[in-house]
Amino acid sequence: MALNRRSFLGASAAGLSVLAAPTVQAAGHGKPRVVVIGGGAGGATAARYIAKDSKGEVDVTLVEPTRTYYTCFFSNLYLGGFKSISDIGHTYGGLAARGVNVVHDWATGVDRAAKTVTLAGGATLNYDKLILSPGIDFVDGAVEGWDITAQNKMPHAYKAGSQSELLKAQLAAMPEGGTFMMVAPPNPYRCPPGPYERVSMVAHYLKNNNPTAKIIVADPKPKFSKMALFQEGWANHYEGMIDWIGEDFGGGNVSVDPGAMTVTIDGEVTKADVCNVIPAMKAGRIAEIAGVTDGNWAPVNAADMSTKADPDVYVLGDASQQGDMPKSGFSANSQAKVCANAVRGALTGSRVFPAKFSNTCWSLIDTNDGVKVGATYEATDEKIAKVDGFISATGETSDVRKATYEESEGWYTGITNDMFS
Amino acid sequence: MLHTWPPFSETRAEEVQPIEAAFTVAPDILAIEGDFAYGEYLSSECTTCHQATGANDGIPGIIGWETEDFVIAMHAYREKHRENPVMQMITGRLADDEIAALASYFKSLGE
Repeated sequence: MALNRRSFLGASAAGLSVLAAPTVQAAGHGKPRVVVIGGGAGGATAARYIAKDSKGEVDVTLVEPTRTYYTCFFSNLYLGGFKSISDIGHTYGGLAARGVNVVHDWATGVDRAAKTVTLAGGATLNYDKLILSPGIDFVDGAVEGWDITAQNKMPHAYKAGSQSELLKAQLAAMPEGGTFMMVAPPNPYRCPPGPYERVSMVAHYLKNNNPTAKIIVADPKPKFSKMALFQEGWANHYEGMIDWIGEDFGGGNVSVDPGAMTVTIDGEVTKADVCNVIPAMKAGRIAEIAGVTDGNWAPVNAADMSTKADPDVYVLGDASQQGDMPKSGFSANSQAKVCANAVRGALTGSRVFPAKFSNTCWSLIDTNDGVKVGATYEATDEKIAKVDGFISATGETSDVRKATYEESEGWYTGITNDMFS
Repeated sequence: MLHTWPPFSETRAEEVQPIEAAFTVAPDILAIEGDFAYGEYLSSECTTCHQATGANDGIPGIIGWETEDFVIAMHAYREKHRENPVMQMITGRLADDEIAALASYFKSLGE
């Protein structure tokens, strides 16, 4: 029996993990083939736009190991009790219905000479254009005493899903007056305001459930995204609860002992009841396997997100080294649309328009106290360069902050539809 | 004639921010013919936040607007006659022909 895309998806959904290679290259028919690896804000958007806009002229395969994708953005709101885990979970049926061949498997190899991708299940995919959007992995040895085998004792919760649920359960189980510790990451990392929104959401939870508890943050940086806004908010809402130890006070000189549940900051040992370790980051491993990284990240050309290493391999989002854009879901979604337009143009001759990029990051400090930072960007020969930007002001009225939070909820619905519908 | 802001129909009047004074856009700008395909591409920047279904959830729906209303609204943000830093920033780098292109595309989504 010849499998078409729909029956392949059905077989995959039924849990059949091994299929012979020829069946995966369904509906080849000489059409140009795009393989997208990673179904987050970059990859899902790129797959969706190429499929939608090419109207069947391009074969699009999306390789994503998880069947339900939990967005990192808004996962802090889940920790704070503002969202349920199902609120931030999304499936791929909408993309399949648009004609994207959704394959739930791990990509384990890329042969750029043969233009093939190998999957853990044994299949091989051919591509004309390959888009990698693998998000982040952690740098080995970044936090002394921590590695991925310690993630159940000291969760990172920086890839959303089971890690987020674990951290929330640990937060709920904290003893009265206990200590929540965070080891914050060095630049550059996914979602610059993310650790500090997380501190805010943990503080919100503790204020309501465990008000004598403390939060200690060890940070290797001297300053951080939206710092004035967060510090103002912490003073207003959570006075005396949060102790942020920056670089100047030894916040970068940190080791952990997951067995003893201790954190040593500049020689001083503290017992933690919950410890959230967010290590230094690098591009998701498949980018390194594909040989398109230079150091921790994959350098790309700003005009179309193609890699410096290979004009037929593109890298989107957190994994890319592109210039001035922060590593965020919004940025990845924005880059994906520029890339999709360029890839479709290269494969079908459709019109290619100039790259325009934008980003906005909303953060919630406490109930109805939202803040935002954003910028627009353009492609130069050298990089993605910032054009203009804005940031919420300290001392804004509660009406403005509430409207900003409501705007963030609208954005969440908008971007997740833009990725998955 | 000069067209005056806001000229909205009742169906979306509640979505419209008040503006401190009448805001006008010159007739030659309103007369620009929008490049539909370019508008479709540019619209992808909008649909990150504004839902393609036109739903209003904390962010107004923008599909199906009369092109003239759309053009005037975008110019009002660009000239900072309407508030919202995101919209002022996004429109700040849209040229007149790009606004016309977007107006053409979003009108079509409502049809």
